[in-house]
Amino acid sequence: MATLPQLIEEDIQRLEDELRELLKQTDATTALIIDKGGFLISSYGDTRQFDLTTIAALASGAFMANQTIANLVHETNFDNVYQQGQKHSMFVVCVDEFCLLTIIFRAEVSVGVVKYFAAPCAKSIAEQLQTAQQRDPGAGLDLSVLNVADTADFFKRKR
Amino acid sequence: MAIINQATKELQVKIVYYGPAMGGKTTNLVQVHDHVQTTAGNKGKLVSLATSSDRTLFFDFLPIEAMSINGFKTKFQLYTVPGQVIYNTTRQLVLRGVDGIVFVADSQYEKMTENVESFTNLEENLKSLKLNLSDIPYVIQYNKRDLPNVAPVEYMEFLLNNREVQVPSFTSSAHKCEGVFETLNMITRMLLHKFVSQSTPQYA
Repeated sequence: MATLPQLIEEDIQRLEDELRELLKQTDATTALIIDKGGFLISSYGDTRQFDLTTIAALASGAFMANQTIANLVHETNFDNVYQQGQKHSMFVVCVDEFCLLTIIFRAEVSVGVVKYFAAPCAKSIAEQLQTAQQRDPGAGLDLSVLNVADTADFFKRKR
Repeated sequence: MAIINQATKELQVKIVYYGPAMGGKTTNLVQVHDHVQTTAGNKGKLVSLATSSDRTLFFDFLPIEAMSINGFKTKFQLYTVPGQVIYNTTRQLVLRGVDGIVFVADSQYEKMTENVESFTNLEENLKSLKLNLSDIPYVIQYNKRDLPNVAPVEYMEFLLNNREVQVPSFTSSAHKCEGVFETLNMITRMLLHKFVSQSTPQYA
């Protein structure tokens, strides 16, 4: 299975810049870039109010489930999910094959505005990921600093 | 696949607990959640998307941050799949991006067919994601060993671990938290070994 490219500090900075601009344009509360496997890659905005790790896992699951449902009704043009709430709403849009952009916004904020600005933001994020991919497509990562000789008690049970 | 983020020095890994219905997958996560030693804030909430009768509907999810190794924060995301046969599409969704698998088998004699079917189903679902079980670290856990009608471990090994390369297996009574941490620590060790030894890790 193909994967995301390596992201270096410059990439993360650019991604955060995109998210910051998106929040400014839309008055949304929080924006997240998540992997379709459920990992949180980057986030910006109010990151204390919400459990972003869990939101990333559930949002990717919900998006993938909805995409599967769309396929079952022969809908091939599926790229976003909108969850309408009374306090906060959420908009999830596909960035590329591997990533999703999730935007959390107050109910008073217009979803139209969020959708309008999310599209170019998702495109910019995809381009940045593409840039990272082209920089060094086969790049590996030296993890030799990890000493895995003794992980027997990596997780310890409380006594 | 795991996320290795060079910018933030984080390693994020996804482990999926797979197996037949009512085999003890959710119980494993509950026990890890209840008994794991962590520093404050390193254990997330256990999220269960379950039916009113506590059967897993979509998945259970438990994020845990383990110790930092030479500056790398290691974050583990533990998932279960719904075991019931009808939820196969859901199992495929949860398997997406998997790094390691714990196959939780039910040791009761009458569950052997379900164990084998579930194992075969795992291989098929991985194939649908263009993955091969032999390329993914996995361990087998023979659960419910405290029940009276259990099959011998040797027999279960023959049924589920009878391959060219045998994988580590553990006996357990998950509801007593026996064998739960041994299993989790082994899959963790295998995963970290894989990341260190592979020449081109997945992505960061």
